[in-house]
Amino acid sequence: MKTQWLFIGVAGVGVALLLSSFLGIFEKRVDYNTQVKPLLNKNCITCHGGVKKAAGFSLLFKQEALAPAKSGKLAIVPGDADASEMIRRLTLTDPNERMPLDHPALKPDEIDLLRRWIDQGAKWGDHWAYQPVERPDVPTTGSFWNRLTAFIPGHDKDRWATNEIDHFILDKLEQEGLTPSPEADRAILIRRVSLDLTGLPPTEKEAADFISDTSPDAYEKVIDRLLKSPAYGERWSGMWLDLARYADTKGYERDPGRKIWRYRDWLIKAFNDDKPFNKFTVEQLAGDLLPAPTDDQFVATGFHRNTMNNDEGGTQDEEFRVAAVIDRVNTTWDVWQGTTFACIQCHSHPYDPFTHDEYYKFMAFFNNARDEDVTSDTPTLRFYKPDDSLKVVSLQQFIKTTVAKPKQAQQTLNQVTKLVRTVEPKINSHDFDQLVNASLLDAKYFGFQDKGSTRIKNVTLTGRPRLLIAWGTKATDATVTIRQDKLDGPVLARVPVPNTGSQGNDTIQMIPLPDVRGKHNLYLSLNSPTSPKDWVQIKWVSFQPVLPGQPMDALGKKDQLLLDILNADAAQTPIMLDGTGDLARETHVFERGNWMVKGKKVSPDVPKSFPAMSPDLPRNRLGMARWLVNRSNPLSARVAVNRFWEQLFGTGIVETIEDMGTQGIPPTHRELLDYLAVEFMETDRWSMKKLLKKIVMSATYRQQSSASPELLAKDPYNRLLARGPRVRLSAEVVHDQALAVSKLLSQKMYGPSVMPSQPDGIWQSPYDGEKWKQSTGEDRHRRALYTYWKRTAPYPSMVTFDSPSREFCQLRRLRTNTPLQALVTLNDPVYVEAAQHLADYMSNHGKSPEGQIQAGFQQIMLRNLPSKKLAVLVRLYRTTEQYYRKKPGEAEALLDRPGFDCTKVSPQLAALTVTANTLLNLDEVLTKE
Amino acid sequence: MNKLLQELQQAAAERETRRHFLHTCSTGLGAMAFGSLLQSCNFLTNNDRQPNTVGSAIQSDEPTAPHPSAYLPKAQRVIYIHMAGSPSQLELFDYKPELAKYNGKDCPQELLTGKKFAFIRGVPKMLGPQGKFAQHGHSGAWVSDYLPHLQGVVDDITFLKAMHTDQFNHAPAQLLMHTGSARLGRPSMGSWVTYGLGTENDNLPGYIVLASGGKQPDAGKSVWGSGFLPTVYQGVQCRTDGDPVLFASDPSGMNRDIRKQTIDAISEINQQQYDDVKDPEILTRIAQYELAFRMQMSVPDAMAIKNEPQYILDSYGVDPNKGSFARNCLLARRLVERGVRFVQLFDWGWDTHGTSADGSIDVGLKEKCHQSDQAVAALLKDLKQRGLLDDTLVVWGGEFGRTPMQENRDGQVLPFMGRDHHLEAFTVWMAGGGVKKGFSFGETDDIGYYGVKDKVHIHDLQATILHLLGFDHTKLTYQFQGRPFRLTDVAGKIVKPILA
Repeated sequence: MKTQWLFIGVAGVGVALLLSSFLGIFEKRVDYNTQVKPLLNKNCITCHGGVKKAAGFSLLFKQEALAPAKSGKLAIVPGDADASEMIRRLTLTDPNERMPLDHPALKPDEIDLLRRWIDQGAKWGDHWAYQPVERPDVPTTGSFWNRLTAFIPGHDKDRWATNEIDHFILDKLEQEGLTPSPEADRAILIRRVSLDLTGLPPTEKEAADFISDTSPDAYEKVIDRLLKSPAYGERWSGMWLDLARYADTKGYERDPGRKIWRYRDWLIKAFNDDKPFNKFTVEQLAGDLLPAPTDDQFVATGFHRNTMNNDEGGTQDEEFRVAAVIDRVNTTWDVWQGTTFACIQCHSHPYDPFTHDEYYKFMAFFNNARDEDVTSDTPTLRFYKPDDSLKVVSLQQFIKTTVAKPKQAQQTLNQVTKLVRTVEPKINSHDFDQLVNASLLDAKYFGFQDKGSTRIKNVTLTGRPRLLIAWGTKATDATVTIRQDKLDGPVLARVPVPNTGSQGNDTIQMIPLPDVRGKHNLYLSLNSPTSPKDWVQIKWVSFQPVLPGQPMDALGKKDQLLLDILNADAAQTPIMLDGTGDLARETHVFERGNWMVKGKKVSPDVPKSFPAMSPDLPRNRLGMARWLVNRSNPLSARVAVNRFWEQLFGTGIVETIEDMGTQGIPPTHRELLDYLAVEFMETDRWSMKKLLKKIVMSATYRQQSSASPELLAKDPYNRLLARGPRVRLSAEVVHDQALAVSKLLSQKMYGPSVMPSQPDGIWQSPYDGEKWKQSTGEDRHRRALYTYWKRTAPYPSMVTFDSPSREFCQLRRLRTNTPLQALVTLNDPVYVEAAQHLADYMSNHGKSPEGQIQAGFQQIMLRNLPSKKLAVLVRLYRTTEQYYRKKPGEAEALLDRPGFDCTKVSPQLAALTVTANTLLNLDEVLTKE
Repeated sequence: MNKLLQELQQAAAERETRRHFLHTCSTGLGAMAFGSLLQSCNFLTNNDRQPNTVGSAIQSDEPTAPHPSAYLPKAQRVIYIHMAGSPSQLELFDYKPELAKYNGKDCPQELLTGKKFAFIRGVPKMLGPQGKFAQHGHSGAWVSDYLPHLQGVVDDITFLKAMHTDQFNHAPAQLLMHTGSARLGRPSMGSWVTYGLGTENDNLPGYIVLASGGKQPDAGKSVWGSGFLPTVYQGVQCRTDGDPVLFASDPSGMNRDIRKQTIDAISEINQQQYDDVKDPEILTRIAQYELAFRMQMSVPDAMAIKNEPQYILDSYGVDPNKGSFARNCLLARRLVERGVRFVQLFDWGWDTHGTSADGSIDVGLKEKCHQSDQAVAALLKDLKQRGLLDDTLVVWGGEFGRTPMQENRDGQVLPFMGRDHHLEAFTVWMAGGGVKKGFSFGETDDIGYYGVKDKVHIHDLQATILHLLGFDHTKLTYQFQGRPFRLTDVAGKIVKPILA
């Protein structure tokens, strides 16, 4: 690649330089990726691509394009453009024959390009992002050609660069005749890097220390301190939560609460521990399948349990189970591969090399998960209270000491531990069929009335003589009879149904079954003469082996202990867990993406246009996760590096961080992207902190962000990075900064999400009557990422500043600039409170209004306010002070808040509050400079 | 200040140009700095609001500035009245005397085989129409006695009687109706329209949502979300209690004059900042703060219903001190009068299963009709007398229909009369803005189960609404995550016979 750029350097004079991407036209060899593919994508592929294959001809895959079309003619004959039907059809004059049909003809130079491409052998090329990542040469700055093309007076380029990143940036700048900007002032720089790495502004002391530190590694010391700060993990979790579509509710119509904050806490710790990105990936996608997974590894799989659940009455669980599985496939591809895989849910990919079937092969990795859109959100990992935990330990101890053979003891231990920690495996009652006098109540759980019956299909009973049933009913004197194979078959058990008080209140019962071998249908029938109309609800059933040393035909002491544990109240967090045996699922292709129309059966695999899965990887989610972060995967590292780059610079090296495919925007610095990807995988062994340090250490990052009119005209959107990044703060940072500079911000980490001040009437849950209950104490002032996130009614100020609703994974927040944002920072009580507290600070840190205003600005921006700006604020202060002098009642109204000492009301403090409110709305305050 | 505005426009134009350029062309950065190369890019393919007027739409406007239509549109603005929960077409518009004959009889098996219902289980009974039907107006439209006021305006209305949908649950069906997809994440119709047409009033949001009935629609704010379109295009919900727009009130103790002074100070300092660093985004911020200040006045002004004369309040049946559907109808008129492009009304409480009096067709539906009928008719008359109905499109409907069978939830006999969700047939009506007056399109079978003639799918309705606003629904697209998206997904046919 380097040679190509050098070549351009040779040819490059004046205008031609700016035309770099058209230069290929004058080259001898036509390049498929940069020249041919865009032309085909634009003109041909809509009809001759992955969706439609008009006349049996498609240009998506080489083998298809070179095969005879339906007519038998060859569209492309490599080496012979004249014999190629495609060229003939492009050049005809008859509008019924000429391609592209019903569209303007291709321009002569475009046809000529295609002609030459075919004559040169019609070489296919893989899209750059699908090619293996290789370490590129680092450009040497100040080379002969660079000097020739870009003479930069008075700028020592060699000394400007601090690391390899700068060489790539400088190389491009020189080609464009641009020079980098000098390093930003230290006050600006420390604010920038602190906001970027921790999401919080530096304290005045931190800034002062840095500004006065004359040691050569002063800046590096700041970075190392920031990377070690616990706030680092909070900041980067904020980014990842969008990708994980994390929320505190389940979504859809009822949108009830879901307790999955333990996943968020896992994430914060993972970032702070600098868990390498490959492990970080594997644990989130498949932590449950690792050998002897820890609690943390289970909790990590919450990543894919953030899919929505539909608890609306009447909805089919299977439809929304499938929707969640599809969301997992799409999210995995979006997040790790920057590839729009979702297209091929319905048809082969229109532009990129994936087929329809490959979608479902990949879906097969996810399709075995045990979550089935049930209201209880199972499977979950259960966290017992101390007393119950002791019971678990004593049961485990009992097994270890009772079972003689160590292997068997371990097996039993694993099975029982899985049961008590996850209550799996189990059969959800929506799978029951042959309902008589029975129904899926609210389309969710099975229930029957007197004389009702149902069937549980195909259950393997061998070695599982303990039946667990989760009942709920207010019926009294009800009895259930369980029969084998037929409604009037042999009776396996006849048990009284416990009255649990209500349908919704369930109790788990254990029923001993006789020793039956093989697979059978079981029939349950209900006799409930006393309360024939009362529903008896079953949430789930589970068939389990018997614990060692227990009687076969009755419950023993340890059976009872196990049952006590299962019925204990436990905190839970949703996790991924796969079904095996009877519960394993087959995956079929959905015809045109319709889950009800199942096509052929498929087995788990990755798309053919990617490196194959190594044969020693298991063909399950774990193998898939390991495949994603294998060195040979062309996309994972590129996508990750690009995302971090985007977070720091405001725009990715590939702007479309969501799409690295052929329809995405090409990278501005492809070699740099590859360089960083290789460094990330090899040198830094997937350390995210090392990657970030490398980027923020670069001179490129440290540049000042102001632009001369010339530079602005030449590079208005700073894609070439001849200056530092200047972008509006994210929703989280706008919030956290205001609380931090007004000294309100709580340092508390982790735990259930909190409910800070929010206007009334935002939540209008149609069914469950859940309410926004304002948190108390320091929970009112936690960092934004701890704010309770309701999908159908997210926290308003966050959404106004472009947070997504988190219903689905969103890969990139588009920054907007709207009047509603102004209203938030001007008037939202959260920001008014921040202004009140900032005013308190100001009044204590200056004698004159000028001094106080300076102190307030210093506190936020860590630098002096220039005199012209100060004059504006002093004028504002003076006129408002006069006003409040005349209207003490207004001053009190402005200053009043819970716990405020009314004797402190003064026109001065009121005027300072107005000034502080103004400060918090300045462009520079809302911007990372 | 004039100079500032020019610069701002220039900056906005550059930003727009860039967005479109980067999305449409793959010729790389080198080309970007070379202005004349813009000509060589095909702007017509992607992210294109107005294929036929590309130059003006893309190169010189702010995101929400008004854009001309592709061709002369019949409608300039839309009031979309969504009765969330879905009213029963069989009680209101779709007169089925045959169904009355089957009342109380078991539903024939062929209507049940292979069908899925939200709540009906086993074999339900048929349920005859509960309203008393008669023909009204010169057009002879069938309307029941549930809607006496609407009977008087049928000659301004086109009824679509064979609507059908794919979704039988509220949230997905509402999403399909408003975003073209049953799954979350797509922009809503109002977002597409403001993205395409901008707004005519600088002081108000272009897309305003008003909800009544005590609850939000089932699918939540996503039904007026902007999906992947920039958030400037999302619907702004004006609330009936508290600030009409969130945070529009100044903090207590801060009057308008002081707020004006703070905005002036912010703008002045930001201008100095711009002079130093030359970031065009600063100019946008200055403009947005000034708009925010104006909105703080103009939104409450638009919402100040007490300024309406008493006879207008009476005609809608509005109590100005209470939030209600009727009040929202009157607000809708005030908003479109002020140039708001898309006003979306949601009224909750039309889901009539028969599980309670409120949720029944014999009691609850009557009451909902009673609460809304007068206001809807008054809205049509009011728009007409102001000459606004000609270019304002009013749409009325739910997210699906209701079954000709009586619901038997969980196989039980329910305490009230109710009907389950039904996707095969329901009625939507439209008025004004380029649709025929006094017209009925589409027919259902004798019991109102299936559409049998001139069926209209949700995507067809959407295509037609966009057409009336001057768009080709296949061309109003936005490039996102690798492909162009549109409101009508991959379907939609304009319902030409209803066009005036």
